[in-house]
Amino acid sequence: MQDNTYDYILCRFGELTTKGKNRKDFINRLLINIKERLKTFSGLTYEKTHDAIYIHLNGEDYEKVCARLHTVYGLSNYSGAIRCSRDIEEVKKKALLLASKRDYQTFKVNARRSDKNYPLDSDTINRTVAAHILKNSSLKVDVHRPDLMIYIIVKEDRIYLLDEKVVAIGGYPVGINGKALIMMSGGIDSPVAASMMMKRGLKIECLHFASMPYTSKQALDKVLTLIKKLTAYQSEIKIHVVPFTDLQLAIYDHTDESYAITILRRMMYRIADIICNRRHIMTIANGESIGQVASQTPESLTVIGSCAKHLIIRPLACLDKIEIIDMAKELDTYETSILPYEDCCTIFSPKNPVTKPHEDKCLYYESKFDYAALIEDCVANIETITISSDDIDEEDDLF
Amino acid sequence: MQKASKIYLDHVSTSAIDEEVLATYTRLLKDYYNSDALYEDGVTVYRNQEKSRTLIAEMLGVKYEEIIFTSGASEANNLVIKGLSLLHQGGHIISSSYEHSSVDEALKQVAKYLGIKVTYLNPKKDGSIDPLDVKNALRDDTFLVTIMMVNNEIGAINDISAIHKVIKDNAKALFHSDMTQALGKCEICLKDVDMASFSAHKIHGVKGSGFLYKRKHIEIAPLISAGQQEFHLRGGTSNSPANIVLAKTIRKALKERETYGSYMQDLHSYALEQLAKIPDVTINSPKDGVFGLINISTPVKTEVMINALDLHGIMVSGKSTCGSREDEPSHTLKAMHIDSEYALRISFDHTMTKEKIDIFIKYLKETIDRYAR
Repeated sequence: MQDNTYDYILCRFGELTTKGKNRKDFINRLLINIKERLKTFSGLTYEKTHDAIYIHLNGEDYEKVCARLHTVYGLSNYSGAIRCSRDIEEVKKKALLLASKRDYQTFKVNARRSDKNYPLDSDTINRTVAAHILKNSSLKVDVHRPDLMIYIIVKEDRIYLLDEKVVAIGGYPVGINGKALIMMSGGIDSPVAASMMMKRGLKIECLHFASMPYTSKQALDKVLTLIKKLTAYQSEIKIHVVPFTDLQLAIYDHTDESYAITILRRMMYRIADIICNRRHIMTIANGESIGQVASQTPESLTVIGSCAKHLIIRPLACLDKIEIIDMAKELDTYETSILPYEDCCTIFSPKNPVTKPHEDKCLYYESKFDYAALIEDCVANIETITISSDDIDEEDDLF
Repeated sequence: MQKASKIYLDHVSTSAIDEEVLATYTRLLKDYYNSDALYEDGVTVYRNQEKSRTLIAEMLGVKYEEIIFTSGASEANNLVIKGLSLLHQGGHIISSSYEHSSVDEALKQVAKYLGIKVTYLNPKKDGSIDPLDVKNALRDDTFLVTIMMVNNEIGAINDISAIHKVIKDNAKALFHSDMTQALGKCEICLKDVDMASFSAHKIHGVKGSGFLYKRKHIEIAPLISAGQQEFHLRGGTSNSPANIVLAKTIRKALKERETYGSYMQDLHSYALEQLAKIPDVTINSPKDGVFGLINISTPVKTEVMINALDLHGIMVSGKSTCGSREDEPSHTLKAMHIDSEYALRISFDHTMTKEKIDIFIKYLKETIDRYAR
């Protein structure tokens, strides 16, 4: 059943309010992102004020619109809102409607006048409306911890009645902090890292290393599926697929097995660095977490990360695996991530990978083959795919 | 030519295939690749099959690995009864005296070959199984209770939740329910059972398709031992086209219940009213039975009545169609003390109309007037 109680959704900005003179950019970006996420609801119209964005529902389904709002980073919280005239009788009637909506036991009315010329003062509005609800329902007033808080905002030409605040996902609007390049393997960690970067307002592009035929087409499909899921938060995501086989084989031919993964990761960062330059991306991010595997010890991360000149952010560095898994489940990427396809880091994985690699040793092994030429080949043959939230699975009509 | 004017009143025996399901199924038949093959086309088939499994699980509020595709409810019923009996090699099962033949015959076999003891509970006057009777029949060695949700001959609905409760409160036995006739007509709550059987062809799907819901940690022995298919519970190359289209079939059936539920109730009441007006007709179905299924007794022998109505293009059945060619009287009706020689089962879906019911009533009356002895 469609919920037709509300006329508006009032969206609040959260962290944006702390951002002084950049505020305007933030709000504009958030509004663009909200409109993009909600574009399938053709009836919606938008209104921007200095402290909120009002989404006028015009008959669109409140619940469905809200569900989509929970994928917009930068939105701190929102409330369903009813618009009334300045007639207190109408306000009383609609406040009662809100109060009777769910199984509330207690309530409190909280009026605020942004138009101080309104004939009733805030306290009188509170008492008048509360009295009406008390008289016509079984609800009781609780001024300390009410089940329902009804906010009344008096404007020059109208009054808003607001339902309780619903906490949204917060963060910064995607795009206000530039771009990040996410190294995306297809495992559990990288999609979570990607979402955390998006939450900090970075627009993401992805980098994937494919070692066909050692890795399968399904492994690549899995990565594309994961990115498709992330398009719930950023409508269009580019992925650069690097053909990595020749470079990877050369590494195994010329380095000691224990150093293979270390060198492999160094090559990945070198390639990431090149892509960042080309695509004007400032930040590299990935799912590395301290101590998770041999290549993620502090020593390894130092030696591996020294190959990139760009800022490297490892959002998962200090998280437990179990926390990461919970986040992946929340993100709906977990089930896809655990599909058992080999990725380029799991094929030929050494029996005893070095956990405390030395940079000189890396340089020594790297001097034994012309990796720069191989990297050039990799980069020249990159395939870039753009995945959009609008892409429909042509097989969907099977179900 | 004649087909257009035919009136199909045997919906619970099997249902007309949905056009969209048929089109999708036909398209899928061309993707002949083995769903267990590792190349791309095989993997695509596999992925679609597993997506179907996921969607079915979601629609029924259970886990992905709890849906086991089978050739239909009969196989699912056999898998439960024989699969569990093979593990137990002795012990006791409780069932009812009016189960579908796939339950009944499987029980006879495990009794004969594996020495399993079986208690058959008779329905009450209203056609339902009394949870108290289940409670009283439970023994220390009872490992399975299997009782259908909706009876396929008279339409009685059993209180699955209440039966589940008495079992869980009093014993360790597992509870299985054949829910074939309930899907698309009743609210299905799989939290109330450990296992349940379903068929596609009863809900406008394809024949040779169905599934077993089995709670994840229940161990069961496969009847078809072969490869890794269906979590090693059912070997043999998967019937992927049927398995893939099953999600759509179930989705549409659930939607149909939502859309046509009240229409069906109205139609059901209308048919009951019209039947009640015929003096020689007795209604055997309970008042609160499932909609779209009415069992009646007339003064004309069942076989004669079926033939007479068939001449007018009206299709009905007597006892359960699965036993229609055998001489044995229907055990459901026997359990209900109804003479199956004079019983008639009419059943319909939302494509039925009052006009068609009127035509049926007209010929039913005519046949009674002419041939009642």
